[in-house]
Amino acid sequence: MDTAIAAGCVLIALALLVLPDGARAGIAGVIRGSIVSPLAAVQQRAGLARRAFMEHDSLVRVADSIVQRSQRLDEFAAENARLRSLLGLGRALRWGFVPAEALVGRGMGDEHTLVLSAGRSAGVERLSAVVAADGLVGVVQDVDERTSVAITWPHPEFRVSVTSADGAAFGIVAAYRGPADDEGYLLELRGVPFRAQIRSGTPIVSSGLGGIFPRGILVGTVLEQLGETSGWTRTYLVRPAVRPSDVTSVMILSPERNAEGVESVWAPAIEALNRRVIGAGDSLARRARDSTAAAMRKHLIDSLAAVVPPARVATPPEDPR
Amino acid sequence: MISARTVTLAIAVLGLLVLQYTVRPILDWRAGIDFLVIALLVLAVRVRPGAAAAAGFAIGLIADALTPEAFGAGALAMTLVGFAASRLKAGFFAENIWLNAVFVFVGKVAFDVVYALAEQRLGGMELLGQLFVWTPLAALATAVVGLIVMAMVRPSFERRHR
Repeated sequence: MDTAIAAGCVLIALALLVLPDGARAGIAGVIRGSIVSPLAAVQQRAGLARRAFMEHDSLVRVADSIVQRSQRLDEFAAENARLRSLLGLGRALRWGFVPAEALVGRGMGDEHTLVLSAGRSAGVERLSAVVAADGLVGVVQDVDERTSVAITWPHPEFRVSVTSADGAAFGIVAAYRGPADDEGYLLELRGVPFRAQIRSGTPIVSSGLGGIFPRGILVGTVLEQLGETSGWTRTYLVRPAVRPSDVTSVMILSPERNAEGVESVWAPAIEALNRRVIGAGDSLARRARDSTAAAMRKHLIDSLAAVVPPARVATPPEDPR
Repeated sequence: MISARTVTLAIAVLGLLVLQYTVRPILDWRAGIDFLVIALLVLAVRVRPGAAAAAGFAIGLIADALTPEAFGAGALAMTLVGFAASRLKAGFFAENIWLNAVFVFVGKVAFDVVYALAEQRLGGMELLGQLFVWTPLAALATAVVGLIVMAMVRPSFERRHR
């Protein structure tokens, strides 16, 4: 009996082996779709689990590199914007400049200097103005054959003769030496004649006096008045147009370009700043006008209240209908 | 009424069946552990040869359903291994546990030989490589696991017999 059963099973198995492919696939499909279905699902899950386990490390590596790349995207975007603005500056200057990479000094005592990648061989001279797309950066102090060193505006010895964008006020800008928190971040505009008052937000540009900086380089915008010296001059706090620590690429202006002037280069930026000042002034005037009208109205109501008994002032007259 | 021995046997066989489709794909060894052969042998030594052959046929059919290109080869191999194991159990399935390992090893080798010949997919050096390299390695791995399984299953059966 046992042998008969075994022989039967063997015969069926042999029959299955010699069946046409279509029939075999059909029978296999029926079995797979019924009793083997849960096992097939489990096998598939196990295969996926194995793949997930095997690929975990590489997936983590891929995810890490994607995160790293996405983090660097912001850096690239900022660098791109900087280079575009520098290209814009180059187009606006057209001639008389030497482009250079800038390395900000990080050591004690050289935090206000820049090492520039252009030197005497590129035509750089001592006391050449160093500018970025946003405005004035500093001045070249030492020139070597292939590199040069510039001091930036926070340097204690840095001075630049400036004027307000409308030319109404002149003065000298130097690094602001105030509270430790603000030191190295702001400029101070000194020696402004008492009669010349500068509004907050007014752009300050180099005046061209002194022969080092050509007229028209954007230096910064006025923040507020700091004080008066003996009643003869005023001092203003100025927000710089350029933060030296953010500078990576600069243009070094040649003496010939200094003589020609660069007023047209920063004119659009100065115009935009002026428009903001005018807009802010208009809104302040409107607010002042509104507050004056409100004060007058209040004064009138108070006067009426003093003359007329309160109940009659407060209650509107009744409709005769 | 279903005896406790039958329930234990069923649980062991089902457990090994599940391991075949969970642990084996995760390990994915070329010389993989064949839990189906262990399940068949555990079953075969406790039932009559006819029932072992039928169980082998059923287990083989389940295995074939998931490898349709060799449909029938697994059923044939499992039928023969089950029948033979049940016939030879008196000789192999003795008190000595190491003989059980040899039993599983031989069972797996027999299964692979029948399967490879019936399937007719491999030929020449590939067939020789499979039968003389990978089959012994797979049989060794299966024997080690089979030894553990039988060591776990045996006490419950011995208690029942007493």
